Amino acid sequence: MAKRDIPEINAGSMADIAFLLLLFFLVTTTMDKDMAYIRKIPQKLDVPPPDDIEIQARNVLKIEANSQNQIKVRNTYPDPSEISESILEFYRTSEKVNHPELNFPLYSTADLALCEREKRKLNEQIDGFDAVGDDEMVVFLQSAIKQWEDKEKALKLLERVTGLTELREIDKQAHIKIVVQKATTYSIYTQIHNEIEEAVNILRNDKCKELFGEKYTVMNFRYNQNPDENQEDKDKLDLIKILYPGKIIEVEPKN
Amino acid sequence: MSKFKKVDERSAPAMNTASLPDIVFMLLFFFMVATTTKETDPTVKYTAPSGSETEDLTPYKQRSEIDFLYLGRPRNPSRASAFEYGFALSLDNVVRAKADGLYTTNKVGEWKQNKFDSKPARMKKPIDGVITCIKADQEAPAGLIFEIRKQLQEVDALKIAYSVKDLGVNN
Repeated sequence: MAKRDIPEINAGSMADIAFLLLLFFLVTTTMDKDMAYIRKIPQKLDVPPPDDIEIQARNVLKIEANSQNQIKVRNTYPDPSEISESILEFYRTSEKVNHPELNFPLYSTADLALCEREKRKLNEQIDGFDAVGDDEMVVFLQSAIKQWEDKEKALKLLERVTGLTELREIDKQAHIKIVVQKATTYSIYTQIHNEIEEAVNILRNDKCKELFGEKYTVMNFRYNQNPDENQEDKDKLDLIKILYPGKIIEVEPKN
Repeated sequence: MSKFKKVDERSAPAMNTASLPDIVFMLLFFFMVATTTKETDPTVKYTAPSGSETEDLTPYKQRSEIDFLYLGRPRNPSRASAFEYGFALSLDNVVRAKADGLYTTNKVGEWKQNKFDSKPARMKKPIDGVITCIKADQEAPAGLIFEIRKQLQEVDALKIAYSVKDLGVNN
């Protein structure tokens, strides 16, 4: 059988085909990323919370916005872009030394011995409630113990990295309260979140840089890329979050 | 006696274009990898407000841990009156009007639950871990946002994201 040459395929139009595909992806690509403020909403409660919980005025930073998109922070009427300064003031006034005479949340100092004491106390309480069969109270106290354990973990990390044995911690009740009206626009609403995020990021970045030599936002971004593999980062982030919890309470608008 | 050939008699040699496809393919692959597809093309008109200090949602999108809902004005302005506050909610491209006996926001819980239930088991995380991202128009009233929040609370989908357009993305 005669050997026949296989004719060469003309690849001249390959480029055209590739161009066609390229153009398709060029046109459909959107480079803008989806950016957002991530928040947690509170769990639904089966029973209404008791209304005798006392919250001190000093622990609340109330930010209000009305249907005319005017903003009020505590008793001042700042420009929307100045809200973050009020938040920084709220967190920083008593950070180093407590100023009980000023209307800002106080700090307390926690160390490992305190964690141990609190845990022991709670465990005794649990035994007491267990004996009478009050399951709800037991679950509640167990979550309180969990908080102290987290704090213990953070303290150990702090000691390992910086040698400090205690941490200054803001009042558990301290929070930012957002009160809007039904007709407040989404842009004002997100602007408030923007300002809160800005202030909290400044606080966390400064602290994170001081302790670990790296910005909080950078670390958080890296952690989010691969949440299952960065245990070290997670512990550090948790520590910073304990220092600056950035608690937000959003009140459902009534009018 | 032409000792010198005329220059313009010589035709230009053909350029070798054999490597052109390679170059084009390289570009092509770059754009293919860089492309993130939009979840849906929203059936409502919306202009996102601008903001800064935001978090990037791309990692969550890659892990399919996020659902988007759109809140904007209906494409057909004359239909606006059919909706509460004149704003329509688009859930997977379905826009429901009040006239059908359905409010715009009271389907959110059901929608979220359905979406969650239809996920394959191997991708399942607790519903709490799946973010719901609200992409709302800058004029949208906060009242509707809180109605959505309430709906999500009912189904225990507690992680929420307020979408904005970040003007100076610095990550």
